[in-house]
Amino acid sequence: MGGVDSEPPSKRRKLKQSSMAETLADDSIGSKRIKKVEFVRLIAESLHSFGYSNTLSNLEKESGIAVSSGLVNEFIKLVLDGNWDESLNSLRKLSVLDESVVKLASFVILEQKFLELLNADRFIDALRTLRTEISCLSIDQTRVRELSSLLLCSRGNVTKPKPKQEVIIDLQRLFPPDVMIPQGRLVQLVEQALDSQQDSCSFHNSVCVDSLFSDHNCGRSQIPSETLQILQEHQDEVWFVQFSHNGKFLASCSKDKSAIIWEVSLDGRLVVKHRLLGHKEPVSCVSWSPNDDWILTCGVEEVVRCWDVQSGECVRIYDKTDLGMVSCNWSPDGQRVFTGFNDKSIVMWDLDGNEMESWKGEKTLRISDLQVTGDGKFIISICKENMILIFDRGLAKERLIKEDYNIVSFSLSGDKKFLLVSLVNQEIHLWSLDGDVRLVAKYKGHKCSRFVVRACFGGVDQAFVASGSEDSRVYVWHRETGELIKTLGGHSGAVNCTSWNPVNPHMVASASDDRTIRIWGLKGLNSNHSCMCRT
Amino acid sequence: MKEEEIGSTMDVDPKQYEQIIINGKDSHNIILSYLIHGCFKDTVESLVASTGLKVSAAQLEDMEKRKGILHFALNGNVLGAIQLTEEVSPDLLEKDKGLLFDLLSLRFVELISSKKCTEALEFAQAKLTPFGKMQDYVEKLEDFMALLAYEEPEKSPVFHLLSLDYRQHVADKLNRAILAHACMPSYSELERIIQQATVVRQCLSGDLGKDVVSPFSLKDFLKS
Repeated sequence: MGGVDSEPPSKRRKLKQSSMAETLADDSIGSKRIKKVEFVRLIAESLHSFGYSNTLSNLEKESGIAVSSGLVNEFIKLVLDGNWDESLNSLRKLSVLDESVVKLASFVILEQKFLELLNADRFIDALRTLRTEISCLSIDQTRVRELSSLLLCSRGNVTKPKPKQEVIIDLQRLFPPDVMIPQGRLVQLVEQALDSQQDSCSFHNSVCVDSLFSDHNCGRSQIPSETLQILQEHQDEVWFVQFSHNGKFLASCSKDKSAIIWEVSLDGRLVVKHRLLGHKEPVSCVSWSPNDDWILTCGVEEVVRCWDVQSGECVRIYDKTDLGMVSCNWSPDGQRVFTGFNDKSIVMWDLDGNEMESWKGEKTLRISDLQVTGDGKFIISICKENMILIFDRGLAKERLIKEDYNIVSFSLSGDKKFLLVSLVNQEIHLWSLDGDVRLVAKYKGHKCSRFVVRACFGGVDQAFVASGSEDSRVYVWHRETGELIKTLGGHSGAVNCTSWNPVNPHMVASASDDRTIRIWGLKGLNSNHSCMCRT
Repeated sequence: MKEEEIGSTMDVDPKQYEQIIINGKDSHNIILSYLIHGCFKDTVESLVASTGLKVSAAQLEDMEKRKGILHFALNGNVLGAIQLTEEVSPDLLEKDKGLLFDLLSLRFVELISSKKCTEALEFAQAKLTPFGKMQDYVEKLEDFMALLAYEEPEKSPVFHLLSLDYRQHVADKLNRAILAHACMPSYSELERIIQQATVVRQCLSGDLGKDVVSPFSLKDFLKS
């Protein structure tokens, strides 16, 4: 309060106070013209719930706002004390309330009185309350009837009265909100704001709780975009990478006829754990078992090998004479292996290498992925150049996803409800498999016209789609909006495949024709399992 | 007039009635069965005197007893009625739980009507609580208990339980049960004949479908 000190202090202070009280009534704050009175009362309610009674009374004095009516406070206190008769008297003094509200509130209070008397075996008193106080309110006859029957209940079997806090909440619902402010209203408003911020954040990729001091805005900094590591162990084009389900390992396979299992160490760097040698043809894909104990690798039109992850040993070879395998995958329970053949058939095997079932006819193509979902019921593969087959092997029923252009690859979301289909016309289509099969979104911008390029889901809540591209970059889109968020440059050859670490949303791996694998993470730090929070 | 309204195909030409001959003895028996059923002992005695029909002493005694029971039930002494019933038809109330419930709840109603609410509550807690465990009786029990909630039960949603009609209904039920227990017909022949005629007429009007102006009314038939 600056200004010239010409007037005696006491006079000046009084002037300020009265002008404050006058203008408060019309005062509104912010651009939405929030009523200052209401705002102050919300603050007061929060102070009250924290138990800061001194601050509360100071607030009332300084603001000149009667934060809550003394009568209402008295009423609430009487209810919390269980002093039913007095609380009813207090209720009737609240002239601001409607007759109907008073009746409903009285019913709530008297019901509790009745139940209390019943629980104390004071049947005659309970009966009197029912007859003389409750039924003459003439509301909720059904409940009156129910209460009557409670008089017959045996001891110990009666409905208990509610905790007093719950009674207050019931009463709050009946009262107009400006008479009794709903408890925790300010916190509720803040939570609504936080939800709204999170929903509109298209880069949301962290699991931290936000600070209230600034808007939630992940910013592009939460999307992995910096090359943290370049893995140069393969001798030829790297065609496929995939993180294990537990995020601790990465598997890669290459035209150099080998596959490598990498371990993600605690500081986020990857080191070679095992080299899987034995295939006589380039290895086109790998597949982690659901429990991450084993890995399948598929040699192009050759055999499928099963490896033990810990030892690096090849424990099984799946083979069929005169036929070459083109794809492989696990059943969701990890007990069965499915493989696609170059004669367009699919075979199911057990873990000991025995053939269990086979499906002939145009079930798959030479270049195709293979997925098994629905507890092992559905097999998904590319059955014609522009069609994906969802085959119900139990009922022998087929559903088809038909595209206008040739399909080069597809991948399944973690919850198995969505399919990401990469097409030769440089689009990636997102299909929903839940219920009706329908097209949900399209992603564009990358290059894919000659080679097999793969896309994948990733990030917190699988909110992003990443794909390789023939222009040597990794592309990242926001799944919900289809907006292209980032392109990651660094590779010197077409990027064939990407994999987003399911456990660490800040780690992405990409496999390229330049024989390297790049690990991408957040700027400035080696990403590790703890999340990056903005403070 | 009436025939034209209903449809000439449906109603019978009254002249046809005269073709049917009714035995006088049959008529007397029908009336007698009605009187026995309703315990009209004095009327029975005078009918017997005028027509030469036979009624046994045991039947007369049974009528006297039933008359007593029903009188108690209708006039505020259900407990007396129950006691007499036990004498006349032992283990009837044990076997017929529905009837027992009706009688006990009638007693409950008696207490409410005489404004003895505390006693009514105690009676209910003692005698009616076991019925609360049986699914069939839960809703009925709730109806009765609701009477307790009102200082003026005749203005409550369940006021019909206090009416004479209801007491009559229970008394009738009791009467039929006692008769059945003694292997006597629980419906008088007169009642049965009227019921049968009504059903037949209703069937006939039902068959003719849209032609019917109104369903069969016994009252109108008797007036015509």
